[in-house]
Amino acid sequence: MIALARSIGIRLGQAIGLLLAVVVIVFLMIQIAPGDAALYLAGEQGVGDAEFLAKIRADYGLDQPLLVQLGTYVGNVAQLDLGESTYFSQPVLGLILDRLVATALLAGAALLFSVTIGVALGVFTARRPESPASHGVTVMSLVGFATPVFWLALMFIVVFAAKWGILPVGGIEDVRYEGGWFGETIDMLQHLVLPAISLGIIYLAIYSRLARASMLEVLESDYIRTARAKGAHERVVVYKHALRNGIIPVVTAAGLQIGNLLSGALLVEFVFAWPGIGRLMITSIFRRDSPMVVGIVIFSAAMVIIANLLTDLVYRLIDPRIRVGGSR
Amino acid sequence: MTDLGIAIDPSVEAGGRGAFRMFLRNKAAVAGLVVFTFIVLVTIFGPPIYGVEAHKMAAGPFLGPGDDAGPLLGTDYLGRDILAGVITGGRTTLFVAAVAGAMAMGLGLVVGSLAGYFGGWIDALLMRFTEIFQAMPSLLFSLVLIYLMGPGTWKETLAIGLTLWALPARLTRAEFLRVREMEFVKASRAIGSSDLRIMTRTILPNAMPPLLVAATLLVVIAILFHAGLAFLGMVDINTISWGSIMGKNRGYTLTAWWTVAFPGIAIVITGLSIALVGDGLQDAFNPKLRGR
Amino acid sequence: MALLALNDLTVTFDDFTAVDSVNFTIEPGETLGVVGESGSGKSVTALSIMRLIEMGTRAKIERGQAEFTMPDGSTIDLLKQNETTMRSIRGNQIAMIFQEPLTSLNPVYPVGEQIAESLRIHERLSRKAAMARARQMFDLVRIPEADKRIRQYPHEMSGGMRQRIMIAIALCCGPRLLIADEPTTALDVTIQAQILGLIKQLQVETGTAVMLITHDMGVIAEVADRVVVMNQSKVVEQGPVDQIFHSAKEPYTQGLISAVPRLGSMAGKDDPEAFHLAGSLQ
Ligand SMILES: Nc1ncnc2c1ncn2[C@@H]1O[C@H](COP(=O)(O)OP(=O)(O)O)[C@@H](O)[C@H]1O
Ligand SMILES: [Mg+2]
Repeated sequence: MIALARSIGIRLGQAIGLLLAVVVIVFLMIQIAPGDAALYLAGEQGVGDAEFLAKIRADYGLDQPLLVQLGTYVGNVAQLDLGESTYFSQPVLGLILDRLVATALLAGAALLFSVTIGVALGVFTARRPESPASHGVTVMSLVGFATPVFWLALMFIVVFAAKWGILPVGGIEDVRYEGGWFGETIDMLQHLVLPAISLGIIYLAIYSRLARASMLEVLESDYIRTARAKGAHERVVVYKHALRNGIIPVVTAAGLQIGNLLSGALLVEFVFAWPGIGRLMITSIFRRDSPMVVGIVIFSAAMVIIANLLTDLVYRLIDPRIRVGGSR
Repeated sequence: MTDLGIAIDPSVEAGGRGAFRMFLRNKAAVAGLVVFTFIVLVTIFGPPIYGVEAHKMAAGPFLGPGDDAGPLLGTDYLGRDILAGVITGGRTTLFVAAVAGAMAMGLGLVVGSLAGYFGGWIDALLMRFTEIFQAMPSLLFSLVLIYLMGPGTWKETLAIGLTLWALPARLTRAEFLRVREMEFVKASRAIGSSDLRIMTRTILPNAMPPLLVAATLLVVIAILFHAGLAFLGMVDINTISWGSIMGKNRGYTLTAWWTVAFPGIAIVITGLSIALVGDGLQDAFNPKLRGR
Repeated sequence: MALLALNDLTVTFDDFTAVDSVNFTIEPGETLGVVGESGSGKSVTALSIMRLIEMGTRAKIERGQAEFTMPDGSTIDLLKQNETTMRSIRGNQIAMIFQEPLTSLNPVYPVGEQIAESLRIHERLSRKAAMARARQMFDLVRIPEADKRIRQYPHEMSGGMRQRIMIAIALCCGPRLLIADEPTTALDVTIQAQILGLIKQLQVETGTAVMLITHDMGVIAEVADRVVVMNQSKVVEQGPVDQIFHSAKEPYTQGLISAVPRLGSMAGKDDPEAFHLAGSLQ
């Protein structure tokens, strides 16, 4: 127990160190980039406004030596101060947090969809490796890998929303809708379906193939033969003995893919006008709202790092061989 | 493995030649190669042959595909020929993807081989460095790079290359770690070969198969990245690419689905053909894993 | 009446015949040694008796009978039983242990639970009762510190310990036939002797019959009552141990015998010598 706490402590420390390194790299990138850092920080308001630029320089300490600037910057981030949006004139962090739920909902739903259905498909096809369904998984995984998520989203809109009219085209809620919290939740879920499936189906393609490969390997292993030799029912063999070993690579992959999932979410949010962090990122780029852009990158890196920590924890729960204090 | 499983690895016996023959026997992979070659040829020779300029008005706006009055794949809101756009746009997309993929591969090879070969603190340092880049969601990272550098085809390419190198770096490192311990590497070291020689002449050829597979995947990822960035309008607006056609017509998806459908189909077919080649290579190098 | 009588068992993989018209019997309580070099069809024979050979492989049992005598005295042909019946026999009437103790246990469950699983399947014990019985099995297979080890995972144990766990899983429901497929091949020499000794001793204690598969005539000499010699998918010779050792007819068998190193219990003697139980256990 103490060893476990210790190892979690170590991982936590590593995570914080990693986040710090991200902040430093982002800071250096801004410095290395061609042009005046103050111009970036000023955004569109700053162009040609010397007085404003001078104020920015003073505010952000840009007239100080580089190392001092870096120290100030890291210090601010450490105090959860990601600066102020030049467009909204509000703290960046607050603006991000306002949109966190929408993004988490989208990414979480897509993740849940892709992992559960992917594992189910993987288990099903691993038991019938030569079946049409199994070949279907192979084809689907290759097509899914090659498909731009935003294009898929647009095609879904064309088919499900425009042609058949069964699901909303975009947004997170129908503003005309008047109802209790229950009705509003249903309304929100309806808006969630298409974005989450567009995003999730790409990963479903990847995870179903991965799960099948992993299950095929596990089902050939000696301990499966042992379980059968005990007289265990095939259902128990597959779902108790094989599945728990078979999902380990899927959990690992899902953890490693969190960053890509957020990237995909950005595109999907853009297509569906889903009011999340990704859409904020894009509008902020068009507004040249630099503190916002930089803040979102740092914040999303923090999300990835936290997600990786959680994956690590899940991983330990599933696989006792990951020794306490062991590395990935 | 149980003693019931017989593990024969033909690629080990027959070497690269055996793998090549395995590849040629894989129908899907050969089909992928043929389709991809065709697509490349179309993007190179297609525009002069087809002769329609992609950015000029060619017919009335919003003509559907197969519409008698218009071109084969229809026109967009300005009457521009979608087929011409797809043919011309492929140039940019494939060029950027190829160069960015090569860039990422090269960078990954350097970082990964140094880390894997020397190990110790060099490895630790380089891998921590790689982790930093992996912590930032890739698309956001390339968006920031473009935001800081400004638009332009070369800058986009650089941004994508700088985003995607972590994957090949990790893989190269793992392969170098694996091959480093093999007998012939020790032998090479024993006869006093230089580090550089051992890395490039002895280890690299033996680490090549998975890296080759990774390279094909990397090109697909680069295509998707470029398409995404262009779709978002983050790239040079005067350059036509598959992503930019979709981006410009996004607002008309519901009135003219073909304007976004066809460039996307071009991406899927191209990506799929490359992925099939990669899959075929994977099977040829590692026949035991066939069908997984 | 024989406990198990194999008659004309033939198993193929596509067009390769891995087991060709194999006949032999196992009497209640005896130890039958099945010997032959690697690839001669020993494991396929064993897995065919368990009806596990066709699961997940391209194998097909072409013909033959495996008449097994049930506790009530009736005989059934194992090769004709349906899956449900076979499940009730596996691990209950006939149990099996394998060559690779390192990979034969499920890495994600504690070993105690893996022993208890058999009991829960066949004796429908509650979780608690099954664990209590599993705890007793630790004593039976001579694993010290049972209370601690019952909660351990396979990776926390040595190969010899894991094979003891496998034996505990196999014996917990009191099977009348134990098939041990090269149970010591993957182990160190000293551990080999311990595990063989344990199997032999438990056989005496429980009265179960043992089908011991090995490629090592030395092992046969130490523990078997009778021997079946297999070569290239066929049984080439069978008979009581001393008869085979003294007057093997087949050159193949003679070759196997001459390959036995004259070390350990056979050193300096011409005859095989029964295994000495005393002192061989830790
Ligand atoms: N899963 C399998 N697939 C194909 N052939 C097999 C398989 N298992 C066994 N065989 C064939 O059956 C023969 C006998 O195997 P086996 O019974 O495992 O030999 P052993 O006597 O060493 O236990 C092997 O030589 C092999 O050719
Ligand atoms: Mg065998």
